[in-house]
Amino acid sequence: MNKGRKWIFRIGALAIVLAVAAVMFVIGRGHTVYFDNRELAYNGKTVAAPYKIVVSVDGEQVAKLYDKERGMTDTMGQKFSMVVRITQEKGGEEKTSAVSMNLPYNMDGIILNIPAMMAGLPEEAYLTEFIQAPTEEPEEEPAEGEDDMMGEEELLTDV
Amino acid sequence: MNKKIDFREVLQRSLVPIMFIVICAIGIPLSGLSVGYLANEIMTRMGRNIFLILSLLIPIMAGMGLNFGMTLGAMAGEIALILVCDWQIVGIPAMVLAAIISVPISIALGVFCGSILNQAKGREMITSYIMSFFINGIYQLVVLYMMGSIIPIRHGSIKLPRGYGIRNTVSLLSMRQKLDNLIPLTVGGVKIPVATFLVILVMCLFIVWFRRTKLGQDMRAVGQDMGVARDAGINVERTRIISIVISTVLAGFGMIIYLQNMGNIATYSSHSQIGMFCIAALLVGGASVDKASIGNVFLGVILFHTMFIVAPKAGATITGDSMIGEYFRVFVSYAVITIALVMYETSKRRKKKAAGRELQDLQGHGGDDLRTADLGTL
Repeated sequence: MNKGRKWIFRIGALAIVLAVAAVMFVIGRGHTVYFDNRELAYNGKTVAAPYKIVVSVDGEQVAKLYDKERGMTDTMGQKFSMVVRITQEKGGEEKTSAVSMNLPYNMDGIILNIPAMMAGLPEEAYLTEFIQAPTEEPEEEPAEGEDDMMGEEELLTDV
Repeated sequence: MNKKIDFREVLQRSLVPIMFIVICAIGIPLSGLSVGYLANEIMTRMGRNIFLILSLLIPIMAGMGLNFGMTLGAMAGEIALILVCDWQIVGIPAMVLAAIISVPISIALGVFCGSILNQAKGREMITSYIMSFFINGIYQLVVLYMMGSIIPIRHGSIKLPRGYGIRNTVSLLSMRQKLDNLIPLTVGGVKIPVATFLVILVMCLFIVWFRRTKLGQDMRAVGQDMGVARDAGINVERTRIISIVISTVLAGFGMIIYLQNMGNIATYSSHSQIGMFCIAALLVGGASVDKASIGNVFLGVILFHTMFIVAPKAGATITGDSMIGEYFRVFVSYAVITIALVMYETSKRRKKKAAGRELQDLQGHGGDDLRTADLGTL
């Protein structure tokens, strides 16, 4: 193999690896999605919270929300699909809807106001970023030089 | 060719595994652990550790002994995992991305380590051992001071409250056992991490294939005799560096597999003992400083980790204090390395002595015989 071809193969291999890394970067992005069942006022329009909302993701129920309640789920990738079952009033009929949406890449935690979303309000109304409240923590000093137990910690506590 | 089996040598080579089989045979009934529990634990530990231990085989092939420098690869894997965690990449993609990120770091560390080891031929093990301490210092500088200040780290769950440096423990919950549980299979109550074993199988096939390649043959030649290999036109130094680079890169991958199983990174200590325990496991499997096979890896992991699991319980049964068992297993880990090194050195000296005696005999019979003697063994 001549030198030129060798370099072409090397650059090609590097490009493939970089492409794989880029794909992993996108498809592996994790988000925490929070579901709110709260009343929301937007542009003078008020959307009331229903009696009960049940959210299922990938066939699994992840949240059952009554008024002013919040649920959450962890998800991977930008595409997010869920099934929402809404009961407007106690003892009323349950209405099921399938919802798909693209999650913003730059947000780790995303709050979805389900009543506003189901009422057809724009994304800026029902989607907000979840920002964790800062908490006072004691200064943590790294403990260097601790012996690694090779996963034996659990075993020792069992004894 | 009719080759006579030297039973004494076979016994000597198998002394460590036999010793461990005896320890396990005594320890298992004393521990009172059920067969199902033991099988589950061993299966988990096999998936967790085998890849890391396989990374030791290539430097042994190249005659560089037990690569204590595999810790460098482990550090590269940890740095990659910390970054991936901060970028909030989760699941299998996180592992793949971490593996890709660890490669350039591992290569750089491997080239550095290999170059230093080329300056210390014949003393590779102690040099690589000390090197791992040196690089650990640099790792701490990077993780403790540069991450968060120079290298951007966004998340408070990873960063120390002071604003820079990484916390003692980084949670890998988002990728915990994702590879192990990718193909779920339970046989007789024993959970088998199929996907992890498939990765290990690919790795084993790679090693088998690699041994047959030109580079693999070169490494074996270098391992047998550097002088002869050099005369045969092999670039000895380059071959040795490549063997260390491959080992370091594989150790990085191994550490990622190991930590995804554990579910968290002990930032400042996960890597510190990994080389020691992997080497001990390999030696328990019957490997030596100059010879190791894939079979040694599997046998070693089973025996070493069986001892690890049963020792505290057996210690508690015998002495009433589980810490005795804990001391015992740590003591055994270090002792097995010492025994293996002493045995290697003894057999090397014995061979040298025998070769000297043979040479003396040949000289007694005249110069012609000497010319035809196999000087390669001297």
